[in-house]
Amino acid sequence: MLFTWFMLTGLIFLFTPQTLTSKFQLAFVHVFRWPLSIGADLALTAQTRQTLTDAPGRSETQYLNYIASLEETLDQQRRKFAKLYKLYNTYVWEGTDFALADVIPATVGGARNELTISCRKTNGLVKDHFVLGDECIIGTISDVFPQISKARVALVTDPASKIRVKIAGLAGLKYIMKGSGNNSAKVEMVKNEVKVGQNVFALKKPGFLDAPMIVGKVSECKRNQKYPALWDLTVVPACDVGQLEDVAVIIMNPQK
Amino acid sequence: MRWLRFAVLILAVTVLQKGLLARWSSKPDLLIILLVFFSIYCNTSEAIISSFTIGFAADLVGSPMPMGPQMISFGLFGTLLAYLNRVIAIKRMPFQALAIFVTSVLTGFLTHLLAYITGEPIPSNIYIVVLVTSVYSSIVGPFLFLPIAWWMRIKVNRYRR
Repeated sequence: MLFTWFMLTGLIFLFTPQTLTSKFQLAFVHVFRWPLSIGADLALTAQTRQTLTDAPGRSETQYLNYIASLEETLDQQRRKFAKLYKLYNTYVWEGTDFALADVIPATVGGARNELTISCRKTNGLVKDHFVLGDECIIGTISDVFPQISKARVALVTDPASKIRVKIAGLAGLKYIMKGSGNNSAKVEMVKNEVKVGQNVFALKKPGFLDAPMIVGKVSECKRNQKYPALWDLTVVPACDVGQLEDVAVIIMNPQK
Repeated sequence: MRWLRFAVLILAVTVLQKGLLARWSSKPDLLIILLVFFSIYCNTSEAIISSFTIGFAADLVGSPMPMGPQMISFGLFGTLLAYLNRVIAIKRMPFQALAIFVTSVLTGFLTHLLAYITGEPIPSNIYIVVLVTSVYSSIVGPFLFLPIAWWMRIKVNRYRR
């Protein structure tokens, strides 16, 4: 009986629209964002032991900590300002708005590839907006949760992701790049052989992207198994998504 | 069964799985290890409740997959393992490792199959991800049984039925 009731609950969850159930998942990330980010930081931090000599007193430590935090905040704001200044003053981004967002732990190695981002400004964010990380396209917005200032980014390597691209050296030809889930994506049925290391660019998409932007690099080029005259490319992201701390969402034609 | 301790343990492990282990591409599935532990060391009704609860926790951190597939697959195979344990006692470490491996593979594939039914794409590397996770879990799992048993105040006897 117990088993039947639980199974029924599971089936209800399974067939409830994902827009509703994903709120549970995001609420969990929102509630436990602090331990989650601590865990992520611990994974990234090298374990080094430091010895403290001439340790200062308690009040002095408080001031030193306060100053250190303030300096770090100032530095972070400077970096954000510099990043935004650079983006706003690039010719192709004229009239474009950007929403800077912090990254909550990324899941990039498993079967699905996604990021959850924490964004103060969720006004104007909609599904399919392109997301920039380290000056390259890393994915598109898949869900926006304005109530808790969060959004989800489907990375270009996610199996659900499909982006129109062109490959450097193959002028005029356009292809579809599909995510393959293992921190890589595939471009299939390419007419010419492509050198490893060639850049792959996301194509213009009216209303979302006004100029081609680098999205990845070719890491492998091998013959298509069905049609040996054609080539299949494996593409890896142009930046290390796992190391990203913040990203910028491109908002074309922002509402003033 | 001490349910408060169970709740704290599940919460801690879920946060650990999503936070600390999320950045590693190959990692053990701690929730599967817990599933096998409770299926082996609890009575059948407790095993059923704990299996579905662990599945629900896995669904909570399983984004972008929809909720439900892991709750169903964890619940189903946790219950089956609990019934199997009544016939064949899984007490020794190699058998526990084998139980973790098999459960992990079966839940992994059923989860993705259920997700596929609801319209989710099946990743091309699904076999590798499931198998690597299962191998890691089966290696690490039996060693985690003792600390889990200590926390849950469950007596573990590995060599007697």
